[in-house]
Parts: sequence; C-alpha cells; structure tokens
Amino acid sequence: MTPPVQVLVVGFEKPSLSGEILAELARLGDAGVVRLLDVLLVSRTEDGRLETLPAPPGADPDLGRLATAFLHGAEDDEHPIARGGTDPAAWSLDDAVPPGGSAAVAFIEHRWAEPFVSAVRRAGGRMLDETWLAPDDRDLLDRLAAGTGPGAATGPRG
Amino acid sequence: MLLVPRQLLRVGMTGDVPYYGGRFTPAQAYAASHPGPRPVTPAPSPGAHADQRLAALQHLLDSGVITPEEHRRFAARVAP
Repeated sequence: MTPPVQVLVVGFEKPSLSGEILAELARLGDAGVVRLLDVLLVSRTEDGRLETLPAPPGADPDLGRLATAFLHGAEDDEHPIARGGTDPAAWSLDDAVPPGGSAAVAFIEHRWAEPFVSAVRRAGGRMLDETWLAPDDRDLLDRLAAGTGPGAATGPRG
Repeated sequence: MLLVPRQLLRVGMTGDVPYYGGRFTPAQAYAASHPGPRPVTPAPSPGAHADQRLAALQHLLDSGVITPEEHRRFAARVAP
C-alpha cells in the first residue's frame, strides 16, 4: 500500500505561503516523517469563483502544478458525486474556502503512518473516527499524563 | 486560472469512509454553519394539516434524523 495522504486547507487573510511552513515540512520530509507532495495557493472571489495563484517568489515554479491537475476537472470527473449522486462524505474546495478568502492547499503524505495503517488492516480494524483534540482537552490530557489532573492516579503514564 | 474543484471523498487514515453515527457529516456541519440565503417559501396555510406534519416527523424518525424521544416531543407540539 501507499502511505495515506492528507489534504490541509489553511486559510490566510492574504494569499501567502510562509517560507517557515515550507521549511518545517522540508525538515519533516528529511526525517522521513512526511512528504509534501505539492501545495497550491488559491483565492476565492466574492462571487464564489476559485482561482489558482502563482507560486510565491523564490519557490519552485512548478509548485502547485500537481495539485491543480488533481483538483481541477469537475466536468469530466468519473466520481459518482460529479455525475449527480450524493454522498455525505464528499467535499471540495468550494466547501472549505469562503468567498473573499485565500488558502494554501497542501497534499501531505504521511510516511510514518504506512506501517500503522497496514497493521490496522491486517488486524481487521476499521477507523470509526479520527479527530484532533481541542486545546482545552489537550491541556487536560497533559495534566492527566503529568499526574496533576482529575483521575490522574489511574491514568497511564508515559 | 479558474479552478473548478472536483468533489473528493472524505475518508479516514485507513481509507475507510468515516462512520458518523447519525451525527452531522463535515459537509452537513459546514452547511449548517454557513447558511445561504433562505429561499422564499410560502407561508403555511392556516389549516396546515397536522397529519402532514406528523408524517414528516415520522419520516425524520425513520431516517434516523431525530430520536424517538425527540419525535415524541415534537409530535406532542403538533397534536397536543
């Protein structure tokens, strides 16, 4: 199998792509943790149209080409949703980027997760849900792990 | 260039479509938090039939949108 690929849509007030963000992704890539497949800058006009933006100065001029080719093409899409079907799990950039907004759309391959996902599948597991903890819940988890929160005495220690 | 984004299927890390267990899907949650302009709908006639409302409530119950308890409560409002 291939590693899972996550799509991150990060909104910005102005179209931008921080060199710091790319540098951090490059560092994780060097460590074999993730691989940035591509990143695309888009903006959405007030009347709802999505437009791709050129790569920022100094970036690889091909940046965004793969993402554009992948994301574009509703007219000839073979997906059942594009043929008039409905699927509650469907989404598109139209759902994510508000009118008048800008975003960086990153395709990130999670190399670290490949053996984990393979193990889950071999065991017959099925992901029922996955999410990220809210900051307050993250704080609670930290306190429990440190033995300073409610129920800490029975919680696992790391 | 103008981007016409195609629809993608939202799946979890293992490639499975997440199980939402009757909750809002992310798309539904987005729609609920980003309401568009409300369509103009005609006001219900004064004699809007309770049985039609009850049938609609039954449909919501059968579809799993509302719980039996919610169905009982809403139905009581329609036909006390």
